[in-house]
Amino acid sequence: MATYSESTNKLTLKIVYYGPALSGKTTNLLQLHTLLKPQRKGEVMVLETRNDRTLFFDMLPIGLHSEGGLDLRLKIYTVPGQVQHDSTRKAVLSRADGVIFVADSQLSQQDNNAFAFDNLASNLQKLGMDIERLPLTVQFNKRDRLDAIEEHNLQVRWSSTPWAPLTLASALNGQGVVESFRQLLGRLYPAVDAEFSLARDYAIDSQTFMRNLSAVGGLSNA
Amino acid sequence: MRNYDDDYTLDDLLSPAHQARLLELLGKLSGAPFLLSENNDGTSEPIEFSLDTLGWLQAELPTEQHQAAVRLYELVLFYAGKYRLAANLHHDTTEASYLELQQKHAAVQASEEKYRQLAQRLTQQVEEQVRVIKKAQQELYESARLRAVGQLAAGIAHEINTPIGFISSNLRVANDYLDELEASLPHNHEAVMLFEDFHALLDESSSGTKRIARIVSDLKTFSNIDQADFAACNINALITTACRLVQAEHHQVLPINLDLGELPEIPGYPAKLSQSLYNVLDNATKSLDTEGHIRVVSRVKDNILEVLIEDEGCGMSEDVLARVFEPFFTTRDVGAGSGLGLSVARDIVVAHRGEIRIKSRLGEGTCVALRIPVN
Repeated sequence: MATYSESTNKLTLKIVYYGPALSGKTTNLLQLHTLLKPQRKGEVMVLETRNDRTLFFDMLPIGLHSEGGLDLRLKIYTVPGQVQHDSTRKAVLSRADGVIFVADSQLSQQDNNAFAFDNLASNLQKLGMDIERLPLTVQFNKRDRLDAIEEHNLQVRWSSTPWAPLTLASALNGQGVVESFRQLLGRLYPAVDAEFSLARDYAIDSQTFMRNLSAVGGLSNA
Repeated sequence: MRNYDDDYTLDDLLSPAHQARLLELLGKLSGAPFLLSENNDGTSEPIEFSLDTLGWLQAELPTEQHQAAVRLYELVLFYAGKYRLAANLHHDTTEASYLELQQKHAAVQASEEKYRQLAQRLTQQVEEQVRVIKKAQQELYESARLRAVGQLAAGIAHEINTPIGFISSNLRVANDYLDELEASLPHNHEAVMLFEDFHALLDESSSGTKRIARIVSDLKTFSNIDQADFAACNINALITTACRLVQAEHHQVLPINLDLGELPEIPGYPAKLSQSLYNVLDNATKSLDTEGHIRVVSRVKDNILEVLIEDEGCGMSEDVLARVFEPFFTTRDVGAGSGLGLSVARDIVVAHRGEIRIKSRLGEGTCVALRIPVN
């Protein structure tokens, strides 16, 4: 749930990376931190890990100051993927404005993907949200693996869902990370604009939104 | 308590004491005093945490040193923030889990209560069913016994009926022949004595066959051989007839008081109802000594037609009362009663969807109530 503070003219949005254990959510976040050159970018907070596994969550704050004076923040979270951390996952997921579901492309991980996706749907439902209406991007990560499922098969399988087309990534190599993030921003903007009239009241149109939050490298105006 | 993902103020992350301590240490390191304020006074540098400016650090120092102090401050905040975020998330999660646990607990308790009640209900139902089955078993046992007895009775009645018919007929004819024989023989004292005795013997045999015939008739009714006609019955008329029959049988005027109320006609087998009334009246009569009265009341109460037959006779003990409906149970001498009177009476009343209730005290009399539903 986006929160707007009138006194500081600050709008905070929340994006959550969700998915099965070891699918590369934290890697996505760390790559975003490295690759993105948004207008404003904070430090990545990696809260706590044990053997490289997320225990609580990771968080990257980015933001923009609009010409209309709005202080827009995007807090990007990852959840712990391991099954036993479900209550933490649910707490992090609460009040999310958008979700990037990071699935594992390896053939052996398809059951885990399905289980995690069901878990996402059920946790959203418990939190009073509807997976069909929430801005959601599905990324199949680890495309660099030899046993990754063929792209065509994946796209066909997901073609009839509201989340097609899928995005593909090899987060470890920085590929597809920004693309997935941009797809979500594209799906997120209309929802936020409908609620807060970004274009009308703050002169933030879709392009400005995308450019200022997901610019890459030196091409800050790309 | 704030949510873990709320924005934090400086005080949320670092206690005022630690803030002061940090400033003091920075001052000692750099050799210049530091001041933390909420606003920029022109010589201050912003301290940021998660893109938020939490305060302004003011010091009379070269820019590089000033900035280094700010970065150091931010680094401390960064780690304090990580702890704060994790702690708050942990708190949120624990709270949510606890709430969920409480809800589950309440649900479990509710379902436990539900199952407890269900178990209770089931126990009750089982007990109820056991009672029903026991009763049905008892009834089945009794009805099987009665059926067996009935079949036996029907067989005996059928076999006896024919010989008793020709015996009584023959006895009548023999009596006639005896008259003729007496007329044709000379009269002398011995012959007269002989004929008198002979007549007495034949009369006694005749009355014996009548008694046998009556017992056979009782047996037939008991075993339901007769299928008398189904008709509308005037119970008061049946009572009156039965009283007359009993009087005739006993060759005397009995002290019977009739108190007959207005009754609707009920559908039934009049002959059988008469029989049951007769049997009960007969018992009442036989219970009387030289004194005592019989009172017959008929009335309708709560849609039940009731005939009460009360006597002031010898009454019955509880042991006897418990067995009165048993076929062939009798307290009279062998030959004096078939032990079928009340069995027959009850079967007839039950066939009319009614019941017989008996109250009795030894030495004080007996009250038999024949109760038949009107509809």
